[in-house]
Amino acid sequence: MIASVAVVGHQNNPLYLQSFTNANDALKLHHIVHCSLDVIDERVNNPKRSVSTLNESYLGLLYPTESYKVYGYLSNTKAKFLVVTTDLDVKDADIRSFFRRFHAAYVDAVSNPFHVPEKKIVSRTFAQRVSGIVKAFAAGTNG
Amino acid sequence: MAAGPRPRKSFLRHEKPRRATRRSERRMAPLVPKSGDAIFASIDRVVGPMNTAEASTKSEALINAELFTLTYGAMVRQLLTDLEEVDVVNKQLDQMGYNIGVRLIDEFLAKSNVSRCVDFKETADVIAKVGLKMFLGVTASVSNWDPEGSSFSLVLDDNPLVDFVELPDTFQGLHYCNILSGVIRGALEMVSMKTEITWIRDMLHGDDAYELRVKLLKQIPEEYPYKDDE
Repeated sequence: MIASVAVVGHQNNPLYLQSFTNANDALKLHHIVHCSLDVIDERVNNPKRSVSTLNESYLGLLYPTESYKVYGYLSNTKAKFLVVTTDLDVKDADIRSFFRRFHAAYVDAVSNPFHVPEKKIVSRTFAQRVSGIVKAFAAGTNG
Repeated sequence: MAAGPRPRKSFLRHEKPRRATRRSERRMAPLVPKSGDAIFASIDRVVGPMNTAEASTKSEALINAELFTLTYGAMVRQLLTDLEEVDVVNKQLDQMGYNIGVRLIDEFLAKSNVSRCVDFKETADVIAKVGLKMFLGVTASVSNWDPEGSSFSLVLDDNPLVDFVELPDTFQGLHYCNILSGVIRGALEMVSMKTEITWIRDMLHGDDAYELRVKLLKQIPEEYPYKDDE
């Protein structure tokens, strides 16, 4: 079950942060997302393979901590998408498809001429779409 | 755009740019060179990502619909930054649309080969089914004729200009597609119909479709500037 999703810009500025649990732990989620950014930077600067051919890198499990798991995805404009989930076992393919849909929603939100790049995403359609994707993901893993 | 044969370099400084003339006067002007047609022909049709495969088999050059949408969005954004007032931007968009419309009508009549419209009802159908299809790739429906037959509603369910757009709260009074109303007004004025066009429904303000109310004010018979007996 997905606890929260976040989008971070290429200068590590937060663009979108949404939590789907009822508890008021926004601060905790901010903290987790912040720590994950360090892990992403580490992975990006020291690639495991000598030649990384993929442009949009699905970074996979960044680090498991407490009861959460954090997955990351990097677009070729260095926009980072992060997913914090409480599920114990999640299929890789599910997360990948989640990120693909999330990326598509992000691209549509950014194409809005009234969106200022590197500022927070205020689009309501984006928020609705993300909630829809999260619900579909939860339904997919439970069903 | 230069008119007539290519001018020699020494004349370029003295040559005044040609002003857009009324269609009636243009008939007596010298022929525009073919290179002008080629420039407009390359923006002949706008296609969405679905039918580019089908369209690429045709010999006409096409542009991607997303480029068109993003260009229009950038233009509206820039107008808002320059003019700052929503009403002024609306008027400016209408004026720009008017300028496009007076030129577009010639291209439309040349490419579509429609015959002279008998009455205003036929004009409405031609705009909705042929004109909008040719230039925007969408068909609109005509409805809500008033009892005298002098005004109608043009309803668009789909509008390529507004893909991805969400109006922020500070610009709620903006008629984002006001350029369309200007285009129709300009085009109809060139075929001697003076109209007034207003927006009734706008999807960006939460409605379910785009509805334009087109009202015919009067028909202006064409005037030839040259008297026959002189």
